[in-house]
Amino acid sequence: MKTLLHPRYALVRQLATLGALLAFWEYAGTLGWLNPLYMPRPSAVGIALRDLFLEGRIWPHMQATFTAALGGLVLGLLAGIVFGILAALVRLLSELIEPVMLVLNAIPRVILAPLFIIWFGIGLGSKIALSFVLVAVVIFFNVFGAVKNVDRKLVERIVTLGGGRWALLRQVYLPSITASVLHNLKVAVGFAFTGAVVGEFVGASRGLGYLISFAQSTYNAALMMALVLLILAVVLVIFALANQAEKRLLRWH
Amino acid sequence: MRVSNVSLSYGGEPVLEGASLQVGNGQFVSLVGPSGSGKSSLLRAAMGLQKPFAGTVDLGRPKSEVGILFQDDALLPWRTARQNVSLGLRFRGVPKAEALKKADEWLASLGLEGLEDRYPRRLSGGQRKRVALAQVLALEPKLILMDEPFASLDAIVRTKIIQDVVQLVERKKIAVLLVTHDLEEAISLSDVVYLLSQGPRAKISQQYTIPIPRPRDLVRARLHPAYAPLLEKLWNDLSHEVEGGSNGHGSNPHSAMAAE
Repeated sequence: MKTLLHPRYALVRQLATLGALLAFWEYAGTLGWLNPLYMPRPSAVGIALRDLFLEGRIWPHMQATFTAALGGLVLGLLAGIVFGILAALVRLLSELIEPVMLVLNAIPRVILAPLFIIWFGIGLGSKIALSFVLVAVVIFFNVFGAVKNVDRKLVERIVTLGGGRWALLRQVYLPSITASVLHNLKVAVGFAFTGAVVGEFVGASRGLGYLISFAQSTYNAALMMALVLLILAVVLVIFALANQAEKRLLRWH
Repeated sequence: MRVSNVSLSYGGEPVLEGASLQVGNGQFVSLVGPSGSGKSSLLRAAMGLQKPFAGTVDLGRPKSEVGILFQDDALLPWRTARQNVSLGLRFRGVPKAEALKKADEWLASLGLEGLEDRYPRRLSGGQRKRVALAQVLALEPKLILMDEPFASLDAIVRTKIIQDVVQLVERKKIAVLLVTHDLEEAISLSDVVYLLSQGPRAKISQQYTIPIPRPRDLVRARLHPAYAPLLEKLWNDLSHEVEGGSNGHGSNPHSAMAAE
């Protein structure tokens, strides 16, 4: 008993609790305590999940969501980094960019989804745009902060060792920016997928968000839960990859 | 190096006023003073990191022959020890392979062999200080400005590093201007010690010549007959400055003069 309570076995205890909950849920469903329309049994969710893959119909949707999320992520990173650096270095630009970013940061940016659908149609463009806005704002503030708060002592060190502007950029600014972007890569990836899925949910003909919206309109709670699980799994895999990248590139940390 | 009549301020009342001092070739000079007397600012002004309010600092040689060692080691956390040491050489256009080889030699001469590929975070405080020292020495300066570089180290590590520094600067005939508030360190290391009065409007109030012969051994220097009397005199003068400052301007002749 004592060994089971050891902190080392925390994961075992967590999994056991989860298993017990699922078993209870399943059992309650079989007894008819739960309305399957609202709370389908775990096995029903499992079957819905399996069906998505069995018929192979999930792949075009996965592809659509991934394309939108990755497109938004890459463009958002680029724009966030470039504008973050420019705003931090050029005062005239920061006067223009910072208020816009502050407003975009203050509002829940997903409310822009309907507007983007009007502007860019129900295709890929509107999803990339939403993903992009979500990512770019977060990265902008990170990079802006990283450049503004760059360690003055390191700058002075480089200057007294005879380094010029190029050396400062290469030895101090770029590594500081890289570190801040990598530290926030997971947040950015999360936002990229949020943008893609919400965009699809609001109006699309493909994608995981579209499937959720379809499940909702057909009152298919099992399918909806299966999709939520699937998105969770996808994001966890990507988080793990981002973690690897962070560890590799921030070895010095 | 010659500092003439330098005044420094952070906008408002000058911290340091009319300071003049000289550092001859190969000479070890210390500048001692209470905190807030503008010691560090003077070094920063000498390196052009801060503009003097008045007066001039003449390094007496091109800036490339002058190194500076800060209180913080300020190593780039994302570069290894070897890369950090090679930085200055790379800025001077030394090819990468050669710069790294030189860096390794300097690290080895400071007792850091085998730690070349470590990142600063994986080094101890004393080891980081040695890397910072190697970084400055690799540029083969003729003059090194030191801003309490050993303040953060514990006593044993500190004594060892200082001993190494003394040997190196004596052998390579490097002039040093050391800023410190440690009187014993100042006397045992220096040829000349300048005493700064309490700021604001701090002034160089005294100058002492230290007659202890070179090469110096830190421990033996303290046993030299001239050491104890000098320490006592400096200590008395310094306490006088500090008390004079805190008792108000009236009791300090320098502040009284400055107030006119």
